[in-house]
Amino acid sequence: MSLKYITPAERFKKYLPKDYVELVDYGPFGKTQDQAGPGNMGQFKELVEEHPMCSGCWMAYYIRLIFASLPCPEETVTLGTAGCGRLAISQAAVPFVYGNYGDQNAMASGLSRAFRLRFPDKTKDVITIAGDGGTMDIGFSMTMHSWIRGERFTTIMLDNEVYGNTGGQESGMSPKGAVLKMAPFGKNFEKMPATGLAIAAGCVYVVRMSPTNIKKAAKVIRRAIFVAREVGPTFIQAYTSCNIEYSIPTEEVFADAKAQEKDRFQFEEFMTDEAKAVIERVEAEEKAASKARKAASKAAAAEVN
Amino acid sequence: MYYVAKVDSNMCAEYKCNTCTLYCPEANTLMFDKAGNTSWVDIDRCKGCALCVYVCTDMLNRDCITMEMPNVGEG
Ligand SMILES: Cc1ncc(C[n+]2csc(CCOP(=O)(O)OP(=O)(O)O)c2C)c(N)n1
Ligand code: SF4
Ligand code: SF4
Ligand code: SF4
Ligand SMILES: [Mg+2]
Repeated sequence: MSLKYITPAERFKKYLPKDYVELVDYGPFGKTQDQAGPGNMGQFKELVEEHPMCSGCWMAYYIRLIFASLPCPEETVTLGTAGCGRLAISQAAVPFVYGNYGDQNAMASGLSRAFRLRFPDKTKDVITIAGDGGTMDIGFSMTMHSWIRGERFTTIMLDNEVYGNTGGQESGMSPKGAVLKMAPFGKNFEKMPATGLAIAAGCVYVVRMSPTNIKKAAKVIRRAIFVAREVGPTFIQAYTSCNIEYSIPTEEVFADAKAQEKDRFQFEEFMTDEAKAVIERVEAEEKAASKARKAASKAAAAEVN
Repeated sequence: MYYVAKVDSNMCAEYKCNTCTLYCPEANTLMFDKAGNTSWVDIDRCKGCALCVYVCTDMLNRDCITMEMPNVGEG
């Protein structure tokens, strides 16, 4: 997509659905993070529409955060697969590609290459967002090979440590001993070392986190996207609890995410030197642009007075 | 219907705060009115998880949000 493609003719607006017009007028398209980003969610029309994910789902929350953090939503395509997350990802105002189970990183490889050929003058962001089953079990070979090939796009794993969508089977990412509906005696094996695998396979920016600090979580999402544009594959493993399969009372979901920060999801951030150089450059540019905007609006206000 | 979140705007407006709106799992649901300096709930979209109550009461030690049965069928 592009901003031009999304924006309707003024005269045509009254025939369009209300939510679409609200997105055009109050959405984040073409705006900066200061104007419409994670820090002021609830004050602009967000990209994610109503969806059927469960009440209090932390995965739904993180998806909300991903979409609010996108550096350029009008030039982004997401890819996903079966699992709870796609229920909300498919309801966002960003093109979403949905294929066979677990093939999101294979599709994203082709798509990101095609974008670079078709739009050499543009920056298109390709992001796969899938569950732990989709990323590390059934999609494992396609995930690993995309990384080994050095494909330049971002992989986000919504790690709820279970097959949530199909009623509680253990996954490679479930912790050892986890008792689940379809692992009634407790899981026998260790949780897979996802970030270690990503680094070994050649990811140039890798983070494991429990998204409780909005600023930090948004920064990581944006870093992963910026680095994938230029350097190579990037990977985020985020704790996105399943309150249904792990029996977490919904009002305690946030507290649980905070507890996980000290447990299995301690913050880990890896970057290569090349990735670090991109991050430093882009963040310095953003800071300077934001400073210039603030100065300009201050000057404009002074002129009015 | 089920219990949904309700913000006491008078209490909320005393704080310069929009913390709960940043942690609702649903987008476009728990909104913040900058002019009135208060958060508010679009009850048609609220799923009743009470995560916002945790934020306001347990984290911030305020009690501006309660879970209440909405009056449906009216209006
Ligand atoms: C080829 C194939 N096998 C099995 C399924 C059934 N299936 C749907 S979702 C899912 C697992 C979801 O687990 P995960 O990827 O962790 O996502 P979650 O629902 O936990 O977010 C499975 C096995 C399928 N859709 N396609
Ligand atoms: S089953 Fe679990 S992960 Fe899926 S929507 Fe419900 S709470 Fe979220
Ligand atoms: S957390 Fe409480 S005080 Fe803060 S905006 Fe929400 S309701 Fe108001
Ligand atoms: S109860 Fe849950 S869904 Fe409703 S406004 Fe609060 S956090 Fe959002
Ligand atoms: Mg899962």
